[in-house]
Amino acid sequence: MRVVIGEDQVLMREGLRLVLEGAGFTIEALAEDARDLVRRVIGLRPDLVIADIRMPPDLTDDGLRAVLELRGERPGLPVMVLSQHVQRRYAVELLRHDDRGVGYLLKERIADLETFIADLHRVLDGGTVLDPVVVAAMMDRPRPGDPLAGLTGRQREVLALMAEGRSNAAIAARLHVTEKSVVRHVSLVYNALGIDQSSEDHRRVLAVVRYLSR
Amino acid sequence: MGAVCVAGTEFALILHQGGQYAFISSFFPVLGLVYVTTGLVAWARRPSSRLGLLLVVAGGFALLAEVTAVDAPVPVAVGMIVGTVVLAVIVQLLLSFPTGRLHTTTERVVVLAAYFVSLPLQAPLYLFAAGNPLSLADRPDLADAGLQVQRIAGAIVILATAALLIGRMRRARPEQRRVLVPLSVYGIFALLVVPVSSALEHSVFEGDPVQRTILQLVSLGLVPIVFLIASSRGGFDRTSDLAELGVWLGSDEAGRPELRAALATTLGDPSVQVLFRVHGEEALVDDLGFPVALPAHANGRGTVDVELGGRAVGAITYDAMLVDRPEEIREAGRIVAIALDRQRLTVELRASRARIAATADGERRRIARDLHDGLQARLVLLAVQAAGRGDQATLRAGIQSAIEELRELVNGVMPAQLTERGLAAAVEDLRDRLPMPIELHVAGLEQRLRLDVESAAYFVLSEAISNALKHAGPAALTVSLERTGGQLVLAVADDGAGGARARAGSGIRGMADRVEALGGELYVDSVPGRGTRVRAVIPCAS
Repeated sequence: MRVVIGEDQVLMREGLRLVLEGAGFTIEALAEDARDLVRRVIGLRPDLVIADIRMPPDLTDDGLRAVLELRGERPGLPVMVLSQHVQRRYAVELLRHDDRGVGYLLKERIADLETFIADLHRVLDGGTVLDPVVVAAMMDRPRPGDPLAGLTGRQREVLALMAEGRSNAAIAARLHVTEKSVVRHVSLVYNALGIDQSSEDHRRVLAVVRYLSR
Repeated sequence: MGAVCVAGTEFALILHQGGQYAFISSFFPVLGLVYVTTGLVAWARRPSSRLGLLLVVAGGFALLAEVTAVDAPVPVAVGMIVGTVVLAVIVQLLLSFPTGRLHTTTERVVVLAAYFVSLPLQAPLYLFAAGNPLSLADRPDLADAGLQVQRIAGAIVILATAALLIGRMRRARPEQRRVLVPLSVYGIFALLVVPVSSALEHSVFEGDPVQRTILQLVSLGLVPIVFLIASSRGGFDRTSDLAELGVWLGSDEAGRPELRAALATTLGDPSVQVLFRVHGEEALVDDLGFPVALPAHANGRGTVDVELGGRAVGAITYDAMLVDRPEEIREAGRIVAIALDRQRLTVELRASRARIAATADGERRRIARDLHDGLQARLVLLAVQAAGRGDQATLRAGIQSAIEELRELVNGVMPAQLTERGLAAAVEDLRDRLPMPIELHVAGLEQRLRLDVESAAYFVLSEAISNALKHAGPAALTVSLERTGGQLVLAVADDGAGGARARAGSGIRGMADRVEALGGELYVDSVPGRGTRVRAVIPCAS
């Protein structure tokens, strides 16, 4: 699998290279700023883009804008966006039009090698990965007449894992319950949130995130 | 009237007694009368000046000196004691022209010395002379020694007076100088005439007291007339010395004394203090911006408020012993109000700069403490665990929580959203972290603002919101940010307890400083029981 990395910090860039090469990825290019990243990706057409949000030239959200621009050109281009901090707003922007092949994690998640590599593969396969911190921020957000208030603790856990992009099987494994009971919880959550039950398995993150972002 | 009667009686007595020099001596009461008359005229023309009063007093002493004519022990004694006091009064007149008030300590010392020379130092002359009611002994040697001492001391006083007058003439404006120079020169001349002519009686006047006396009478008699003329000329014809303040206001700022000194000199009270009423400070502050407790009236201090355009801008405190008429201070306050207000603005600016610097220092200290106490301690603990073969999972969890702590800290110092997306995004992010839902209105903020405006606005909003949550206990909180025209208008309104005040050290003061530093204004409307509304308007030309 061919990867282009956009990261301006040397330590982080080299760390990523080591991790990815160790896991069998091919590093096609290492870009140090957002413009270079866009250029490289357009030229090299990699299978996966990994990008830091804050990058030169503006050192604001340049990396995110580059990724959104690239996905505008190549819908479904798998991207993993990394940041020192996560923002609900950025998650919504990343998922706004298309939730296929999107990952958004805190940089420190790289330390958990196995999980990180697995997350990369899920993104490559068109899945969605959202950092638990983003999901928690969305769910804990204060709002008038909070409909989540009616959910049980277990239902909230299921909702959070759904938003992170986990499949029913993964949720069942994580919560040590049967997949059948997960399906039952998911259905109750959909009801509570008023989300269309017919959401396909991999479209449900979009539905949940859209709901949570209202 | 009384003076005329006294003078007439003396006149009659002197003539009645007769003698070789009766004719000449009879003019001494006339001299007193001239002083009293000119004094009364001067007093009538300028009631606020003490010049007239001083002239009347001088006349009184001149008349008193001549009661010796009564030729009874008591009047003779009194006459001898006050014989030369009129010279001291002339010193006082010269130094206090045109107001009749002394303004500096040096002037007061010189005048006191003059009275010392003419009263106590006069004593040996009659105590050790024969043939008078106060005579203790007939000791011509002691009397002579006393006379020498008095002459030397008198000469020193006259020199000091001359020096002070020269100083005044140099500082005076040209049109004042035209009056001050002849007045001072003549005054010194008149002061010198009496002792010098007496000392030279034998050599120059060949022992003939008639010429000498005529010279003394004429020189002294012209003094009050010269004063009367001078006080109506050369810019000294103002109604009061307060007019000097008007001149001070108009003079070149670089060369003039500062406000407090000018007031102290004009009012004749060196302890005068100027205080300012600055934004956000309940107490009056001094020129360094420090709050000052108003002195109690019982301490002999008086205070007069200074207003400008119906707004209290400051106060003047004064020594109630030295200044007996508060109306004069109030008038002085009215004259200098604009100058005081300007200095007030400087004080206010300096104070807010100092507060901003102190706030920044405080922030740095807090960050340093958080890093040191929190993160550093945590890392040390992790290092210890790593060295002691601690288990992997614990170690990783420790590192993870250290990272989280660092992230929180960085976000507290400068929120990531503010840097990356600007004000509106940062405030929305802030809203997401609050423990209760708030109503948020954002308008006209599609474009980024200047970084300093964004930071200040974010700081003000987060401070106002956290104040509301911490102190007011509101049921509802509304926050709005709107950019209209060249202004950013921020508002935070709650329905909580109210009664927030801009005390020193309170958050409101800090918010106002941030907003004012950008040329904006902060308004806090907080009535107890009726919620708090914080509104900030910051100019932000695109």
